[in-house]
Amino acid sequence: MNSVPVFRRSIRESWRGLIGWSLGLTALLLLYLPLYASFGTDGQLQAIIDALPKGLTQTIGYDQISTGAGYAQSTFYGMTGFVLTTIVAVIWGSAAIASAEESGRLEMDLAHDISRTQYVLEQALALLVRLLWLGIFSGLVVWVLNEPAGLGIHPAHIIGATAALTGLAFLTSSVALLAGSMTGRRAWASGAAASLAVFSYVFQAVAKQTADLEWLNAISPFAWVYRQSPLLDGVDVGGLALVWALAALCVGASVATLRRRDISG
Amino acid sequence: MRSKDQPGGRIVNVAIEISNLHKKYGHHTAIHDLDLRVTAGTVFGLIGPNGAGKTTTLRMLLDIIRPTSGTARVLGQDPRTAGATLRRRIGYVPGDLRLENRVTGHRLLSFYAEVSGAVTPETIRNLADRLGVDLSRAVRTLSKGNKQKLGLIQAFMHTPELLILDEPTSGLDPLVQRELLRMVREAKQAGQTVLLSSHMLSEIQQAADQVAVLSDGHVVAEGNVASLRLGSIRRVRARLATTDADEVRARFAGAGGSNALGIVSGANGVQVSGTVEGAIDPIVKTLAQFDVCELTVEEPDLEESVLRLYGPPTDATRRSRSAGRYADRGRHE
Repeated sequence: MNSVPVFRRSIRESWRGLIGWSLGLTALLLLYLPLYASFGTDGQLQAIIDALPKGLTQTIGYDQISTGAGYAQSTFYGMTGFVLTTIVAVIWGSAAIASAEESGRLEMDLAHDISRTQYVLEQALALLVRLLWLGIFSGLVVWVLNEPAGLGIHPAHIIGATAALTGLAFLTSSVALLAGSMTGRRAWASGAAASLAVFSYVFQAVAKQTADLEWLNAISPFAWVYRQSPLLDGVDVGGLALVWALAALCVGASVATLRRRDISG
Repeated sequence: MRSKDQPGGRIVNVAIEISNLHKKYGHHTAIHDLDLRVTAGTVFGLIGPNGAGKTTTLRMLLDIIRPTSGTARVLGQDPRTAGATLRRRIGYVPGDLRLENRVTGHRLLSFYAEVSGAVTPETIRNLADRLGVDLSRAVRTLSKGNKQKLGLIQAFMHTPELLILDEPTSGLDPLVQRELLRMVREAKQAGQTVLLSSHMLSEIQQAADQVAVLSDGHVVAEGNVASLRLGSIRRVRARLATTDADEVRARFAGAGGSNALGIVSGANGVQVSGTVEGAIDPIVKTLAQFDVCELTVEEPDLEESVLRLYGPPTDATRRSRSAGRYADRGRHE
């Protein structure tokens, strides 16, 4: 028997989507990053940002936009790239178990020589590999554009930002995996994962508004990896480890949950 | 596979043995105290109306769902603990087969072939030709019947020791249904065991050696197909040479058998007709108290027997069903 059949099937069935998402992320980067060279370097962009209310620029993370690294962090890693990878993480994460169960595929698969543990782990691996691909691919595009767009990002920081972006996406998809393992329902899986991403973002945005609410950063995975800008200052290793550890914990919990319950059709 | 010593000293291989199996969903009990034994190398039919618990029972054998209590042994192993390798020895068609993927039939089958081990492309092709399904089309674009054919191919292709087929003919046209029943017979000849469920009695009648009738989570009757037909239900029609229908009614009421019988007086005497469940003797003895002009006692077909056994799911019928079950078992074993 060949190894990891479920993993290979997941990759085989989603490579077209993977290419589509890669192109989408590339388009986004090509749209945003070259703009910095044209009006970011001479202070024009900073002038626009300064004209906006301070609360707003802080909330959307545009307060560090005066440097190339801050610009790439604010426009892509902390905003559009985060949104896009979150969407794909929710879709893939809820498809992995919940949609498979709703469509009857899980029942068929588990009626064969595939154990539940194997199923969850191979699906988690397929999620990880696809999200890593998107993260690394985006990182490479940023690296390629770094010089021409005059961003001046320290190349090593791109690795940290990639690990942060991918970590957040993998955490989101792991939550979808876990909710799918618990309920077998796509609505719950995507609901739980999307809620995590939204609250994670909202908490850190609100925390920026007032010192009284800074504690919200403690429960925001977004803040764990992005509070210290990975592109500008290097990634916060502790926060990064926490995000990845939590994602791994969700995968482990998914295994334990799915092993325990009845599969519904 | 497990060997069992029979009282007569005969050794019988048991492919599936279920004892005291219960399955509860919250307060609802889907399976009550189920006992079943499927002898290896036979075709066993599980019949019952929708919601009787057939699918629940079969899914417990695959460890898709877990029993609340009781034990099941499949090919000598507990499905709960035997792991995925046991399922390699089983071919399973789910009752509610939905294939919604973009992949082609070929792709779908080669995935399961890869997981289940040694299957040649030729085997898949032969089965596809036999059932008449186009494997190059995306499975989600196929009709229900064609999806069902893919379900059957993935169950049969690795020649498993045990085939568990949940409503296997569902969606198939009559010609393909016949082909499937042929495949089931061939599987039996090849030494495979087949457990199939159906709410269509005719196909069970054609295919199965042994039958269990499931209703409302209970086995209400079991035995070989022939003995089940000879079971406790008979259609009785008689004409008695008397004009006093009330007297006939009173005598039958005394014998405890009037409920199921229609007793009407006509021009040529009193007509007694209806379906009798349980012992025939009191009916015959009561009839014999009159001059019997005509008498027909028919064995109904399986369909009618089972319909009769299901009855409306009230406490009273459940009690009478379970009484009938023991009477039935006593007679056939």
